[in-house]
Amino acid sequence: MNAVLLSGLLGVVMMFASFLFRTKAPVRILAILGMAVLLVANVLDTKGIHFFHVNTTGFLSFTGYALFFNTIVIACTLIFFLISSKDMQKVGNHYAEYFALIFFILTGIFLVTAFTNLLILFIGIEIISIPLYILTGSAKKDLKSNEAALKYFLMGAFSTGVMLMGIALIYGATGTFDITKMNIAGLLKSNLLTAGMLMLLFSMCFKVSIAPFHFWTPDVYDGAPNVFTSFMATIVKVGIFVGFLHLFYTAFDAIALQWKIWMAVLAALTLLVGNITAVFQQSVKRMLAYSSISQAGFMLFALVAMNETAHEGLLLYAIAYCLATIGVFGIISKMTDYSFDGFNGLAGHQPLVALCVAIFMLSLAGIPLSAGFLAKFYMLKAVIQAGGYMWLVIFGVLMAAVSAYYYFRVIQAMYFKEGPNHFSGISAFEKCVLVGICVLIVFTGLFPNIIFGWMYF
Amino acid sequence: MVNLAIQTNLDTSGSYLPIGLQLLFAAGMIVTLMGVTHLLGPKRRTADKLQNFASGIESHGEARQPIAIKYFLTAILFVLFDVEVIFFYPYAVNFRELGWSGFYAVLLFVAFFLCGFIYIIRRGALKWED
Amino acid sequence: MNNVLDIVYWIPLLPLLGCIINGLGRKNLSKGAIGFIGSGVILASFVLSLWVFFQVRGGNVHTAEYFPFINVGNLKIPFAFQIDQLSAIWLLIITGIGFLIHVYSVSYMHEEKPVHFGRYFAYLNLFVFSMLLLVMGANFVIMFIGWEGVGLCSYLLIGFWFKKKEYSKAANKAFIMNRVGDLAFLIALFMLIHKLGTTTFSEIFTSASLAKLSGKEMTTITLLLFVGATGKSAQIPLYTWLPDAMAGPTPVSALIHAATMVTAGVYMIARANLMFAMAPATLNVIAIIGIATALLAATIALKQNDIKKVLAYSTVSQLGYMFLALGSGAYVAAVFHVMTHAFFKALLFLGSGSVIHAMGGEQDMRKMGGLSRYMKITNITFLLGCLAIAGIPGFSGFFSKDEILAGAFAKSPVLYALGLFGALLTAFYMFRLYVTTFKGTFRGTDEQKHHLHESPAAITIPLVILAVLSVIGGFVGVPEFIAHGAHALSGFLQPVFKEAYAVLPKHEVEHSTEWGLAGLSSVLVILTVIIAWARFSKKPDLQAATGFGKILENKWYIDELYQGVIVKPLNMLGSFLSNVVDKKVVDGLVNGVGRLVRYGGRQLRWLQSGQTGSYILMMVLGMVLIFIVQFFLRK
Repeated sequence: MNAVLLSGLLGVVMMFASFLFRTKAPVRILAILGMAVLLVANVLDTKGIHFFHVNTTGFLSFTGYALFFNTIVIACTLIFFLISSKDMQKVGNHYAEYFALIFFILTGIFLVTAFTNLLILFIGIEIISIPLYILTGSAKKDLKSNEAALKYFLMGAFSTGVMLMGIALIYGATGTFDITKMNIAGLLKSNLLTAGMLMLLFSMCFKVSIAPFHFWTPDVYDGAPNVFTSFMATIVKVGIFVGFLHLFYTAFDAIALQWKIWMAVLAALTLLVGNITAVFQQSVKRMLAYSSISQAGFMLFALVAMNETAHEGLLLYAIAYCLATIGVFGIISKMTDYSFDGFNGLAGHQPLVALCVAIFMLSLAGIPLSAGFLAKFYMLKAVIQAGGYMWLVIFGVLMAAVSAYYYFRVIQAMYFKEGPNHFSGISAFEKCVLVGICVLIVFTGLFPNIIFGWMYF
Repeated sequence: MVNLAIQTNLDTSGSYLPIGLQLLFAAGMIVTLMGVTHLLGPKRRTADKLQNFASGIESHGEARQPIAIKYFLTAILFVLFDVEVIFFYPYAVNFRELGWSGFYAVLLFVAFFLCGFIYIIRRGALKWED
Repeated sequence: MNNVLDIVYWIPLLPLLGCIINGLGRKNLSKGAIGFIGSGVILASFVLSLWVFFQVRGGNVHTAEYFPFINVGNLKIPFAFQIDQLSAIWLLIITGIGFLIHVYSVSYMHEEKPVHFGRYFAYLNLFVFSMLLLVMGANFVIMFIGWEGVGLCSYLLIGFWFKKKEYSKAANKAFIMNRVGDLAFLIALFMLIHKLGTTTFSEIFTSASLAKLSGKEMTTITLLLFVGATGKSAQIPLYTWLPDAMAGPTPVSALIHAATMVTAGVYMIARANLMFAMAPATLNVIAIIGIATALLAATIALKQNDIKKVLAYSTVSQLGYMFLALGSGAYVAAVFHVMTHAFFKALLFLGSGSVIHAMGGEQDMRKMGGLSRYMKITNITFLLGCLAIAGIPGFSGFFSKDEILAGAFAKSPVLYALGLFGALLTAFYMFRLYVTTFKGTFRGTDEQKHHLHESPAAITIPLVILAVLSVIGGFVGVPEFIAHGAHALSGFLQPVFKEAYAVLPKHEVEHSTEWGLAGLSSVLVILTVIIAWARFSKKPDLQAATGFGKILENKWYIDELYQGVIVKPLNMLGSFLSNVVDKKVVDGLVNGVGRLVRYGGRQLRWLQSGQTGSYILMMVLGMVLIFIVQFFLRK
């Protein structure tokens, strides 16, 4: 509970920070400090120290899993602030408001990971979505950004409608919004429930860009300012994923037969579409947008498996994927050319930065000794444990191999080609953060048990 | 086996029959009325009749004209706060039952949207003149 | 015996340290320091490996668990090393030959800028680290990490001179072909986890554990592992990357693409020997693929004119022999051939490097000739290498190849006959190479002639050492029919393979037959060498090939076949999905003008609500489809 209220309050504080401070540096420091406080508060919450005592029975339930995941989310956002907060200045004038919106989005994520009531799920998803529409369109003078925001909003509104319809149908079938109290085992043959469940599935798939509901993703990720693409492609996506997993694990486990096959089919479709299309991109940014679709396909494996390993795997995936992608975007937003050719010869101009990009790409491609490898390993393992979907595992491995192609294109451009410098410079502090992310990725890849040790202390 | 009876009760398509009938009736009513007026009414087209009805005044210009964004902003902000105020009605009805804890909750709620109000005033969203 | 485990982790750790120091310090360290560090760490590893070798002579197996690596439910994969006789042999090959090649590289690469020099040694050390990880891992996961690591280093080193575009392409080709193999490896790994719940060698390779697998599963898993091996070890159908990989610096070809990495597949199958022994169908496939690769590559090598390409195809061919041995169940022969091949092929590659160095980068042997006068040491060592690979009695290649052929004979006389034919081809093309390069008259430019010189000591000393090893290396495996109990290697490896040999069907071959076979092959090989020598010293094979020779020169058009059958359709599918489905159908479905506008006028982009409509249309179609299937088609 600490984090939910505190991040909401911090959002309000950041709203007024624009009036309090004339310059931008204090705003940034305030935001980073706020995020650090949030991190501490959430860790304390995990340890059983609660700042607020609010009775949320029937609406929210903060399990150890949700709290630990929130810690990951906050830590990743903190890293994101450290590396990208300066680049946010380039977006527009409303610097403090951007931070405020991000704090609000975090509130939404905390709600979505801990809800036990469909209404809270809906509110959480909306709290996440609406600030995202604004952030997407925050580069007011950039028509691409405007277009992306409008598209995102229109399609988001559509999916919200589908979600509400789904919730309504489920209420009609079960008579309750509380996902722990639905007596679903008694409703195996209810078409009303099935339809509602499918509609929830569609709208959640839309939010995490699962094919065929992914169409908005490339356009929006490409149009939005780099820094915010980084945020919404990573932290927001995994946040909603955990909610997705929580929803189907808690509410619809009894009718798993009805939807598991769809999860598997959609995961395969997503991997196919995301990977094959990513291969043919010329811009690294757009390639990452498609690759984020294919990574979502891998995360969907957790919903096919629905076991303990899947839960752990999703956490690991969240860490691996967020860290690497935030790092890459942190670098991209300092580039003047986002195409593959823009990376030509980066190893010569900026050896350290190039090395970091290489590590991020290796992790995203799932090369051993990186966090990305373990994440993929856990996902595949989870599906194997669940049984019955061996074809999906084989397909997943195949697609992981395909993905190596486009991730390596970046490495190839940096190390095997020559070109002018398109890198606009980086401060020593940001370099340290980049190296820190790399160390975290390799560390997680080497000793994942330490991470899980924290989880079940 | 006992449960089965309740389940079937909950979710038989039969229980939606009245709703279906009503839909059918509503749609049928519209179709009938439109069709009947179309068939019965005399059709004499003159230039005056084809004009938009503007309470007898002659219409002029396009209906779609650009309007200053301020109108929309003010209107949307009004709707926003108006909707928030709606929450007071259920609170007012349950004022006594909710007691002090309810009062604090509403106070928090008011504080939040007061923050929003102060914010838009400070941002100048309601300032009419530039 | 605990102290073995306290020390073994230094064997891979030292090269890793070397890699880090050279990688970070490549701008500040002098070339001398870089070369010293790079070679020194490998020498230290070699000394440790030697010590380990003596520790495991008695038949001990050491397993060290350092920390838990992956714990998922009841699956526990520790980060652990296993040291036994098999890994000890590979340790010696990797660090021993690796050290010689590092020393050689110091001189060979001396013209590079210090930064690139440091980069080279960092990659090379990283490669040695990964390769050591591969052979020391106590479970399939650690092995896989090394497996991927060597692939990555191979990629980096093939593309080392990245300014030439085709070199980068060769690097890509190698990496992607390897990934195809890795894929099969991974799937086999997952099947093992699924069926047995463990990846640790000592737990899988017991009769009790393997009894849990049905015959079909065993065949599937072993076949998948073999497909993995064909990628790394360049067997049909995944061999075409290896000749292209010659784009890398010559010492890299010697270390990675001749002596060590390409034998990883052999190591893997030798490691899983019991499992393969229990899957006779897979063994047959391996034997057939092995002999087919051996012959195919040998025929191609007959008509190649690039000195390194000949050696590359020769490597593919020799690897085919190793797989023939594995498929015949002659595991010791395979390991033996890995060892002798490492000696003489590294020697030949380094020798060719010395030649290329003297010729100022020229690799076409039609422009060489008569080099024996200018490069005495290189000439003699190269000749010894050729004699060894041809299998002249007394040289190392004779013993190992003879053992393979004897194993093949035991399995089927047809395999033996084909194998013998391949051996004759080998002798023929190797002496074509030798005579064309070193004998006759010099055919290069005057400038090149002026430049001809013997290479410095850092190059010739490794050549001499390897030449000595190529000559005497075979005596660790003197066959049983010559002297009873003289096969030291067989005795040394006995603990590793004894269970598998108990499972495999016995085909005893009479000693007298073996004498006959060895005699026959020796006579034929010597005859072939004489014929080749006579033919090419009279008239070098210079003119353009015609007829069948042209097909051979163009490598049976296999590359073109792959390009046409696999790469092109994939590209077409990809561009179809990208251009037609994604752009035409989705973007252009409702508003075909959208594309024009997108590129033409950005001002109008925000008006493109038509696209959003089409997106939503696609979403709705998806939903409706799922609804229809869910409610009407599923029961």
